[in-house]
Amino acid sequence: MSLDIVITPEANNGKRISIAGSLDSNTAPQLQQSIDNEISDSVTATIIDFNGLDFLSSAGLRVIFKAKKLMDGNGGKFLLVNLQPQIKKVFEIIKALDGMNVFKDQEEMDEYLAAMQDKVKEGE
Amino acid sequence: MQGTRSIRLQNKKEDAIKLADFLHSCATTYKIPDSAYNDLRLVLEEVFINIASYAYDKDDIQMISVDLNDIDDGINITFTDTGVAFDPLSYTYDDMESADHSEGGMGIHIIRSLTDHQHYHRAGQSNVFTVTKHYTKHNKE
Repeated sequence: MSLDIVITPEANNGKRISIAGSLDSNTAPQLQQSIDNEISDSVTATIIDFNGLDFLSSAGLRVIFKAKKLMDGNGGKFLLVNLQPQIKKVFEIIKALDGMNVFKDQEEMDEYLAAMQDKVKEGE
Repeated sequence: MQGTRSIRLQNKKEDAIKLADFLHSCATTYKIPDSAYNDLRLVLEEVFINIASYAYDKDDIQMISVDLNDIDDGINITFTDTGVAFDPLSYTYDDMESADHSEGGMGIHIIRSLTDHQHYHRAGQSNVFTVTKHYTKHNKE
């Protein structure tokens, strides 16, 4: 029951944090460390990619919501993608999906990001 | 039915891993279906971490017992610790939707949501917390 974390750059100074395995009370500090190291004020969007995550406890949720708070404070975007059914269920139990940008897969998220970029262009 | 199986753990959060392994080792014998297994794994983690984090002083290493009791239509799980008296059911957010999820407090809400019955009592110097989950046992061998 370990957690694998992979950080990859995204367009426009975004970051993708891909997590796989178990995000629980024993592994949550690892994710917190990665977020502390990687998410600076200059990061415009943080994507948490849950593909491969099969267990999520409240300790893991706390880290996710702290990261959201950080991004909200910076005026950046916070996006969740590829939630497996058992992971989505945990978010639903704590009634936390409203007000979150949650996408079932990459395609749905890409559509959203493209629409957001179009909006920015229109505003220019 | 397969009776009761028990494990004794220390109040260290690392022991949550032993508890998850223990559930895994019981799953086949107890005929726990996959969906209930996932829920129970989360419930065990939440209850255990709650006790390990708050029942004792930081450096006071004590034992926590967890009993899995196979019943006709599901399972009873009892946690017993000798820490400070605390009823986890007394603590819950009234409104989860507007709660600050980064501040915690979600564990007991998850436990209530994923089990059918919860009961706490203080027995002498022990906290005894039992959760019940109902399910139809699978027929896999």
